[in-house]
Amino acid sequence: MSGRRGRISDEEINELISKLQALLPESSRRRNAIRSPASKLLKETCSYIKSLHREVDDLSDRLSELMSTMDNDSPQAEIIRSILR
Amino acid sequence: MAVKRTAPSPPTPRPNPNPNRRAPVSGADAASPSKRMLAFHFIRALARIHRSTPVPRRTRTIRRAAYSSMARAANPRRVWSRALLQQMRARRARTRRAAVLRRRVSAAPATPPGGARSITGEDQESTTLAALARTTAAAVPHRQAGEPARADALRRLVPGGNEMEYSNLLEETADYVRCLRAQVQLMQGLVDLFSGR
Repeated sequence: MSGRRGRISDEEINELISKLQALLPESSRRRNAIRSPASKLLKETCSYIKSLHREVDDLSDRLSELMSTMDNDSPQAEIIRSILR
Repeated sequence: MAVKRTAPSPPTPRPNPNPNRRAPVSGADAASPSKRMLAFHFIRALARIHRSTPVPRRTRTIRRAAYSSMARAANPRRVWSRALLQQMRARRARTRRAAVLRRRVSAAPATPPGGARSITGEDQESTTLAALARTTAAAVPHRQAGEPARADALRRLVPGGNEMEYSNLLEETADYVRCLRAQVQLMQGLVDLFSGR
């Protein structure tokens, strides 16, 4: 790649990995040691991303349900319509 | 395409076009995406879906809107946000082409296989398939020396992950996770709001 001096050092890689670790939810952080092997962290990250994807699916479903309740005439529907206008 | 390793800059905040919009908004910091922009894109998409999408298709459309608005609100220099928008565009183009094909096939009255119309249809189909094959072939995961095995799985999960260098993959993953989390929080906030809580 242009503009790069040789390979990225292992130190920088470790730094990036610890940044990733900081993003993982509290529970998995407690289970892991402060410096977990990179592969374990990557695995945690993969399952975290997958769980986030699942949450998006689930929330889309609930939003779709709630949207259909907006088709009724109700004070809630009015509030929601005013927000979406 | 060379990807420069630059620090992500905070997105320039745009003025809120709709003063009546009340959405869960907190201060945007340099590290996470602007929650205001996230809410703006997503809620606008929701309004459009509410107006014009038939009920049975809503869940799917809302999910796609979640990912595109997330990609739009993100830093456009991020590989994952560009890759995500590209994927959405490609999918829309494919569905449109498939719809055109279906119309041609159903409109053509029992044409023999050598008929002019079916040849055009086949040409369209093969171009679509060829384009698809090209993108999948280019998307072969690019494993580097010293990269842990798990990185392959990560490459598949992060949009555009197949073409990134390992160090870039880690950076992009961190940004992708932050944006995903913000999107989930936004959607949860909306669900709470719409449930009248």
